Amino acid sequence: MNLASLLLKERINLSLKPDKKDKVIENLVHSIKKEKDAELIVSTLLKREELGSTGIGKGIAIPHCRSLAVDKLEIAVGRTTKPINFNAIDKKPVSLIFLIIAPPQDPGNQYLITLGKIVQIAKELTKKNLLQQPKTPEEFIELISQTEKNLRKRK
Amino acid sequence: MSIEIVEMHLKLLFDLDNLLSDLDQPKYKKIGFKIRDEERLSLLQARKELLKEIPPEMAEIYERLKKRYDQAIAFVENGFCFGCFQKLPTQLLTRTKEINTCPNCGRILYWRKR
Repeated sequence: MNLASLLLKERINLSLKPDKKDKVIENLVHSIKKEKDAELIVSTLLKREELGSTGIGKGIAIPHCRSLAVDKLEIAVGRTTKPINFNAIDKKPVSLIFLIIAPPQDPGNQYLITLGKIVQIAKELTKKNLLQQPKTPEEFIELISQTEKNLRKRK
Repeated sequence: MSIEIVEMHLKLLFDLDNLLSDLDQPKYKKIGFKIRDEERLSLLQARKELLKEIPPEMAEIYERLKKRYDQAIAFVENGFCFGCFQKLPTQLLTRTKEINTCPNCGRILYWRKR
């Protein structure tokens, strides 16, 4: 499974307006689904956030859920122009958000595998201080692809 | 209560149930997302309240199906129920104004918007 291949440039916003956590999530969901479907996804994502923030630390958050509103794994990425409060695990503000929505039926558990992979790649990006490097969605996808390759080589 | 509202509550309930089931998966815990027990309990409480928003007979059907199949709702794709993968009768495919169940497995059917 290749994470870079799941990313669509039209769903990567590297100049996201800083706002409240809920609004930023809503904004990203709208790049995937509209109207009632978007409402449903946002409600579930916010319920998940209530359980504990998906801000994994070092400026990265990964809101995620399964929803009937999608029929395949969908990912949106946002980088805010200024870090925002996400009640992250390390209490630090967040600027890079990977949002993942998976269908309820998920053969091969692709959802959890992808989630794990994003956590791993996100940690690698912060370690190398690369979060702010890509300027365009294409550069972002390329960076993810390179990071994935490097992680694979290391194994 | 309008059918749209019932449907919306059912969908939300279903998504919450999937969330609860994911939280229990070892793979999910291994990723490193920590959920405290009291937060989990608050989700169960939210689920209970959501169930009250659904007409009792529908809530009962949902709970029975969940117990039996784990996932009570199945989506419809190309005329098939994606719970049991049986072709649905044509007359069912044109009836979208009410909440329908699959005549074969009984799951609540969901037509995804395109």
